[in-house]
Amino acid sequence: MNLVYNIFLYALWFLSTYYVIVLILIMLIGRKNLYENKKFNFKKEPRVSVIIPAYNEEGKIKFTIKSLKKVRYKNIEFIIVNDGSEDGTSEEVKEYIKGDPKFIFIDRKENKGKAASLNDGIARASGEYVATMDADSVIEPGIFYKTIPYFSDEKTAAVTVSVLVKDPESFIHKIFEMEYIIGLSLYLKVFSFFNGIFVTPGPFSIYRKGIIQKIGGFDEKSITEDMEIAYRIQKNHYKIVHCLEAKAYTILPPTFKKITVQRRRWYSGALHTLAKHRNVLLNRKYGAFGFVAFLNYLLIFLGLVLFLSTLYLFGSNLVEGLLHLKYSNLDLWLRIKSAEFDILTMSRAAILGFVSVSFTVFSLVLGLIMTRTDIKKKKLGILGYPFLFFLYQYFWLVSIIKVIGGKGIKWR
Amino acid sequence: MEIKKSIFILAFVITVFLLLTILLLGGFLNNERKSSVEDRMTIISDLNDIQTFSLLSDVYGNKLACLAFKSKLAEWDKSLWNLGIKLEQYRVATEEFQKDPFYLEQKNKFNENELLYMAFLTKAKDECNLNQHIISFFYKKSEVCKKCDDQSFVLTDVKRILEDNVSIFSFDSDLNITSVQLLERYYEIGEYPCIIINEEKFCGIIDRNFILAKLGYSG
Repeated sequence: MNLVYNIFLYALWFLSTYYVIVLILIMLIGRKNLYENKKFNFKKEPRVSVIIPAYNEEGKIKFTIKSLKKVRYKNIEFIIVNDGSEDGTSEEVKEYIKGDPKFIFIDRKENKGKAASLNDGIARASGEYVATMDADSVIEPGIFYKTIPYFSDEKTAAVTVSVLVKDPESFIHKIFEMEYIIGLSLYLKVFSFFNGIFVTPGPFSIYRKGIIQKIGGFDEKSITEDMEIAYRIQKNHYKIVHCLEAKAYTILPPTFKKITVQRRRWYSGALHTLAKHRNVLLNRKYGAFGFVAFLNYLLIFLGLVLFLSTLYLFGSNLVEGLLHLKYSNLDLWLRIKSAEFDILTMSRAAILGFVSVSFTVFSLVLGLIMTRTDIKKKKLGILGYPFLFFLYQYFWLVSIIKVIGGKGIKWR
Repeated sequence: MEIKKSIFILAFVITVFLLLTILLLGGFLNNERKSSVEDRMTIISDLNDIQTFSLLSDVYGNKLACLAFKSKLAEWDKSLWNLGIKLEQYRVATEEFQKDPFYLEQKNKFNENELLYMAFLTKAKDECNLNQHIISFFYKKSEVCKKCDDQSFVLTDVKRILEDNVSIFSFDSDLNITSVQLLERYYEIGEYPCIIINEEKFCGIIDRNFILAKLGYSG
């Protein structure tokens, strides 16, 4: 057990550290290109259609509509697709869009799924560009002036933006906020430097409609259509670029249970997408994308193996410790009281762990500096960030069990 | 922005450098552990004084030897106990890929000297009227004796509670040390764990309250 465990530990440590160092180096070398601030040089604003699929979004969609009303872009239409909601979504939408000609409301009674709703929206869209947006997200008013210029390259099929957490309050939300700032904002920009973006986030992404239609629109069988379409864009040798300066804000599920449900959908969808597009892995034809996808899943696999074996070791030690305590009046306090710190009792594995945690925090702080985030206000999130490793393993585990169990997962 | 191949090579070099630093640090800590054990092992050379005390006792009677011994008792007792604990902790921290022969050798030496000290302490206890409890603990490795670990844990607690009032000696039966084997035969030890509390034998797992009660303390 010890030898196998150590091999996994060292392999995971090496690969993950290498991966993060590559990203940090690219980030540092390309720091002047992180915020490109491209100029909007169009004589006439190109037409944009924003599609917002909604399923049971009562109480939340009004905020989305309010943020859309503040959008400064003029040549625009907003298409809200009600995907057979069972609550008051339809009424709320009607009330808030009343009298505004920019809004089109497709009030479907049947629930067909998010991808189908997006495809319905695209079919109705008159814009050259289509933006997709979640009904629990809000966007900044100038987002289209920032993103449209990124389509200057004809091969660009999609532009992603920085997705941030709206009003994080609880400790868990503050931890996930870090993930959004780094993973769904900064690292997407870094990935875009070598055309390695593997997701066009649902809270907000904008596409060139012609290309999306050419590659067949969104996959209606997929529960993570935003990832699936990114794979297809990459496979068709188009580009996905990231606009770090444009921001969309999403509301995180309020409870850990609901976050688990969301992640289970994401990760199960990711596994389905991987199974569907497995031929991209390490395929030179798809350039860096194939390598990034492979490395991501390899790290996930190794992380999971390490997590499970650590859990086993921790569990057996815990049981052993409890048995010891059984013969000692369960006197834990005596143990705590007489515990002493001796650096010499640190094994190599413990040093590896310590270096990993320090490195994770370092890369996070560096990322926050790069994204011009006020670090002082993010202390709690920074502190809790290393725990994300354990949460990821938990989410992956429940997702894999779901996928193996063959149980269907809906998009909401 | 064009990504040059040199970035990937540089990242590889940095990662290897970090890994080597960790391995070197691990090696450094290993050496420090060994030095620390070796330093602590100097207590064993102090135990040579035991022979001097024995001689003093023979020539000048118990009074002088007891005076000398009492002045040393607490120090020896504490040092030996800590050495035993450190030997075990450091062995666990080092034992990643294989068992380190250094610790086996040190443990051998330690057990032999523990025995020497225990024998003298037992003798001195009567002759010098010492109010010192003595517990000897015989065990085997945890793979074959799961309860031995539990017993070791309990005895650590007993030592923590009674501190200098009790001397606990642990003997690893797997080391096949002749004098330990002799002692096992003397006490007719056939199962593990087994403890001798002030010359009274108890085999199998013995809980903390029982030991404390035997020593006249309430749990």
